[in-house]
Amino acid sequence: MNPERTARVLVFALALALPLGVLLTRWAGIPRQGGEWIEIHGRMSDDGGWTPDEITVDVGEVLHLRLTSDDVVHGFAIGQSNFEAVDVMPGEVTQATVTLEQPGRYVFYCTRWCGVNHWRMRGTIDVRGETSEPDTAMSPLYQSLGIDLEAPHPADVAPPDDPPSSHRGANLGVPIPDRFLTAAYYRAHSPGETWHSLRAEAAAHQLTDEEVWDLVALVWASNATPSAIEEGGRLYASNCAACHGERGAGDGVMARALANGAAARLEDRDPSPANFTDAVQMLGATPALLQGKIIRGGMGTGMPNWGPILTDAETWALVAYLWRFQFGPANTGPDTAR
Amino acid sequence: MQTSVIGRIALFGLPALVVLLAPTPSGSAEPSERIIRIEASSFAYKPALIAVAQGDHITIELVATDVVHGLHVDGYDLSVTADPGQTQRLTFVADRQGTFRIRCSVPCGPLHPFMIGKLKVGTNWLLWRAVALALLAAMAGVVGFRQ
Repeated sequence: MNPERTARVLVFALALALPLGVLLTRWAGIPRQGGEWIEIHGRMSDDGGWTPDEITVDVGEVLHLRLTSDDVVHGFAIGQSNFEAVDVMPGEVTQATVTLEQPGRYVFYCTRWCGVNHWRMRGTIDVRGETSEPDTAMSPLYQSLGIDLEAPHPADVAPPDDPPSSHRGANLGVPIPDRFLTAAYYRAHSPGETWHSLRAEAAAHQLTDEEVWDLVALVWASNATPSAIEEGGRLYASNCAACHGERGAGDGVMARALANGAAARLEDRDPSPANFTDAVQMLGATPALLQGKIIRGGMGTGMPNWGPILTDAETWALVAYLWRFQFGPANTGPDTAR
Repeated sequence: MQTSVIGRIALFGLPALVVLLAPTPSGSAEPSERIIRIEASSFAYKPALIAVAQGDHITIELVATDVVHGLHVDGYDLSVTADPGQTQRLTFVADRQGTFRIRCSVPCGPLHPFMIGKLKVGTNWLLWRAVALALLAAMAGVVGFRQ
């Protein structure tokens, strides 16, 4: 063999192998376990929302996300899952890994207020797979109770000047019949109805109307654990206060924008957020009605549907927190000092 | 001639020295508790200019009304971030005298770099001294020109 020929072949092979080798190692270096990175861009919902806004994965597949924002501060979370919400900052990439173990359709959403249409910034993750058990998702309580969410629900009685207090109610020492103290009773009755029922009780014969209201507050407080109220407060601050106001008076910073928004122009409805300090409206509402409004949203206003996002326990925690705007802090224990 | 030079120096030089070296009146009033609500929306602070006395205890309530905004006080190096619906408070003692830039500390959109305000702490003595010195110099010039 001609040595010169061998040298030529060698040089040619080297020249070809080097760039190919570099390309091959780079290709091999990409993390491949469980799929590739999915890059999601967040923009204010008037400007496009999430891109992409539809993701499909197989059940149990590891989902690698690279999140970034094209305009302002956003957040990313997946509803009905235990995925911890992350912030999505402009000019930065947030990496997140999530595995969804149950098949179904999940909604991912923005967690930092980014304008009046912040809540419209949502997308879906379709998790494909065999359902191991039939879908046990219960219909919300308001449907089984046949509550019409659109119907007006004013209370026909309202407490006199002072807001009712569970603390005073506990100090009265009047026993409340057990049937009032179940969760099923609480969820299906409004404070106004409960006031009428308690008023008719023999034990409440000696009490003034105001003291009966304190008993109602006690019934309501006995259905809320401190941890639920704390969680409800956290959910309220991050999701509701921007419109309904930090003190629940329906005067949040977005209320003005809602009054000028599309909902106000298109529909002959009052688009202003509900005022939770309004005794007539609140004392005529059942917890199931409030939960229904949270789950379904709408009402011809800018109220989002939180059904795909909040779990059942979270909606009840939120409802428990809303009653604070009527009854003040829940305190079921009588004064021990007396 | 000699006397008039000395007289002129006495007339303008001494007040100039006084203006330059006089100690600033400090702590004339009790420090007060001030709560200042600042609304942040569409790349502006309302109010954008805060004037406080030196030594005041300041609480800034930051209310964001469209997107997440922040507030950073240069010089004091303090920051606070507020989401719409979640008023955040920043409490500090305005012990450093001067004028400080307030800037948004969270990227809030295309005009974010121009979202600025000012914190004025105490009287700007440097400016008033300069004004007094300029007046004295002008008067000295007029007198010198006449003679």
